[in-house]
Amino acid sequence: MNRIALIVDDSPSMRAMVAHTLASAGFEVLQGEDGRQATAFLDGRHIDVVVTDLNMPVMDGIALIKHIRAQPGYRFTPVLMLTTESQETRKLEGKKAGATGWLVKPFNPEQLIAVVGKVVKQP
Amino acid sequence: MPERMAERAVAIHVGGVHVARGPGVVRTLLGSCIAACLFEPTSRVGGMNHFLLPRGAATAPDPARFGIHAMERLINRMMAYGADRGGIVAKLFGGGHVLATDESPNSVPIQNVRFIQEFMAIEDIPVVARDLGGSHARLVVFETGTGKAYVRRLRPAAMPTLPRTERRIRRGDVARPKFGDVTMF
Repeated sequence: MNRIALIVDDSPSMRAMVAHTLASAGFEVLQGEDGRQATAFLDGRHIDVVVTDLNMPVMDGIALIKHIRAQPGYRFTPVLMLTTESQETRKLEGKKAGATGWLVKPFNPEQLIAVVGKVVKQP
Repeated sequence: MPERMAERAVAIHVGGVHVARGPGVVRTLLGSCIAACLFEPTSRVGGMNHFLLPRGAATAPDPARFGIHAMERLINRMMAYGADRGGIVAKLFGGGHVLATDESPNSVPIQNVRFIQEFMAIEDIPVVARDLGGSHARLVVFETGTGKAYVRRLRPAAMPTLPRTERRIRRGDVARPKFGDVTMF
């Protein structure tokens, strides 16, 4: 059975790029264009990893992570922030919200696959 | 182009981005590079970037990711200033063939132009003006508070340092792209 990744980014180009990368690593990919759209996927289905942008309209990445951590079935789901922001204060904000890791764009596809591979539980 | 405006503008170069809310002027000089001037009318936030798609083994197989990064930096910064992403419009400039070797279909200028036009279509950002391609350099001045843009076309011969600068940029001597770092918590 394929592992499932939820990708959240308001840029269709970036979603396509991340989706292509994770699909090449064998993931089935779900996509949301902002945090609120992404929450619709938290309906009890199994999700192996969430990769989310930070700056998005409607609901940003920090708010999404807090929402994910508040759902009983997703408290321990790995959530990676993939963002242009690299300031330590923002990273700390992400850590406090419950992020598993913080990747700064532009991302190295091989590195993204390696990081996702480390945080996703093996079947 | 009002001359005094260009003189007092904030200047950006390759890899640069400048955003402001309300009155402000930014300028840049383009050869084969692209400058995207974005404006959001309700918040009166505007910004400009300056980039080109890098080449070389380090960026294979997809140099477009660096162009996407340049655009995302600009858009995210505009959103931080209060711009509504859905209301942004664009004016695009650059992609000039300023070197004698630039004429092939996969040349740097043509790839840059192809990238930015495809990006705008995919991101659903309306392009309300463009001056792309050709065989001239451009001085672009952009008013962040109104979205007005001014372009002066320049013959490369009128700027003797431009071919040398272009070659440096393409060799990666300037603004060499690199991937972001990773922090695990």
